[in-house]
Amino acid sequence: MSADLPSGFWSGWIIVLTLFSLACVAWLVWSLYFGKDIDEHPEVEPVWDGNLQEGHNAPPLWWFWMIFGALVFSLMYMMFFPALGSNAGILNWSHGKRLSDSYENFDANFAGVRAEIVSMSLVEIQNDLDLMDTAERIFRRECSVCHGPEGRGQANLFPNLHDVDWQWGASAEQIEQSIRGGRSANMIAWQAMLGEEGVEQVAEYILTLDVGGDASLPGQAVYQQSCTACHGPDGAGNPLLGAPRLSDDIWLYGGDFETIKASITNGRFGIMPAFGHRLDDVQIKLLIALLVR
Amino acid sequence: MNGLTIHRKIEEHTGLLIFGILIVSAIGGLVQLLPVLNQESLETATSNTRPYTAAQLTGRDIYIREGCSVCHSQQVRPLIAELERYGPYSRAGEFVYDRPFLWGSKRTGPDLHRLGGKYSDDWHRIHLLDPRAVVAESIMPAYPWLDKRSAKETGNITAKFIALRRLGHPYSDEDISGAEAELEGLTEMDALIAYLQVLGTGLSGEDEGAAL
Repeated sequence: MSADLPSGFWSGWIIVLTLFSLACVAWLVWSLYFGKDIDEHPEVEPVWDGNLQEGHNAPPLWWFWMIFGALVFSLMYMMFFPALGSNAGILNWSHGKRLSDSYENFDANFAGVRAEIVSMSLVEIQNDLDLMDTAERIFRRECSVCHGPEGRGQANLFPNLHDVDWQWGASAEQIEQSIRGGRSANMIAWQAMLGEEGVEQVAEYILTLDVGGDASLPGQAVYQQSCTACHGPDGAGNPLLGAPRLSDDIWLYGGDFETIKASITNGRFGIMPAFGHRLDDVQIKLLIALLVR
Repeated sequence: MNGLTIHRKIEEHTGLLIFGILIVSAIGGLVQLLPVLNQESLETATSNTRPYTAAQLTGRDIYIREGCSVCHSQQVRPLIAELERYGPYSRAGEFVYDRPFLWGSKRTGPDLHRLGGKYSDDWHRIHLLDPRAVVAESIMPAYPWLDKRSAKETGNITAKFIALRRLGHPYSDEDISGAEAELEGLTEMDALIAYLQVLGTGLSGEDEGAAL
């Protein structure tokens, strides 16, 4: 990876100005210390307070060596590192190269074990305590901000990952798809189609789905007409569409009458962001092993 | 002629002294700044970098007003630890529509440059209203007033667009005349989230291969 350095005229501009300034400093310092007429007093200095007169003593010599050393250091630095215009320096150092060196070093140390993890079965990973520890660390870093530090969900918006009801499916393949590509739920708002009364009737009926649905309720007909396409006739849900099961007592947004009513009225558009470009294959595999049951 | 005689001359002529000081203090800028201002690669937008929309620009001004950059930087440095944590390192071309850029240097909270798309809008809303609701150990302050103020109150968006166009941002006449309408009905919270969600999304695969 070559560096992005100034080129053409501006490269020359930098080189000339930098070296010219350095030469000026060197000449100034040199002539102050070792100039020919340093000890001569060609002009009469003013005398203050009867006996105070300015002299021409040079600063102490160690000061000269300090400045001289700094000049030599800067010249060496400019030779070794990219300092002078488009000149990349003897060491050919660049941020990009340092970064790729870091990754080479990383691969040299970990490529083997990483390849091994990808080839392991999920059960093998789950039986390795060290790997599960790593998986938990990845979870805490990447996932816990929404799903909670223990993955038990939070804010009535982010699903609990410990329960049996997975909106988008709990198989390894489905979890991988959720992590890589993200998920966008699309439960439309039913207010306009069902009217307030219709919404209330359906909400009431949904509350009875855990005991098979009370067919005597007026909401049953509305449910059969509007909701079954996604949630199924008995409220079993459909992970392919991200339609949650309505016949259990696991609710993401809340299972009380008012919340269900709000969900139907305004719709729900929960989003799981895609992590395919943020995590690599090894990290995703470890997360799947942690999450799949 | 040596250093001393020149020194004497300069000290005795104030005009010469002022001129000398100006020259010497200008050299750093001439070497460091002037070539960079003319380095095309630094001012070429990366392929997905777009001028901010009215909502995003308003959100950016709210970000500045609330002092987000006091605790959050917006630059992922080219170090392996930063890439692994945040994503691809920041490119100069991603900031061409930032006036001024908000790189910052203080990280009390995490870097935010690759934040766009990492969390859902809902998460941001909850988090800005009460950070502890989603991150128990967070020390970030809450910003409950964002939800109560209209994005239109933040400033004259049309004037901002006109000023930015004068500086070379490619806003069309329609963009400028429609800016006010885009903020219709949005709260400051909506605008800030719109800005947060576009952060760091200006990079595509081809930019990532470019030299550093």
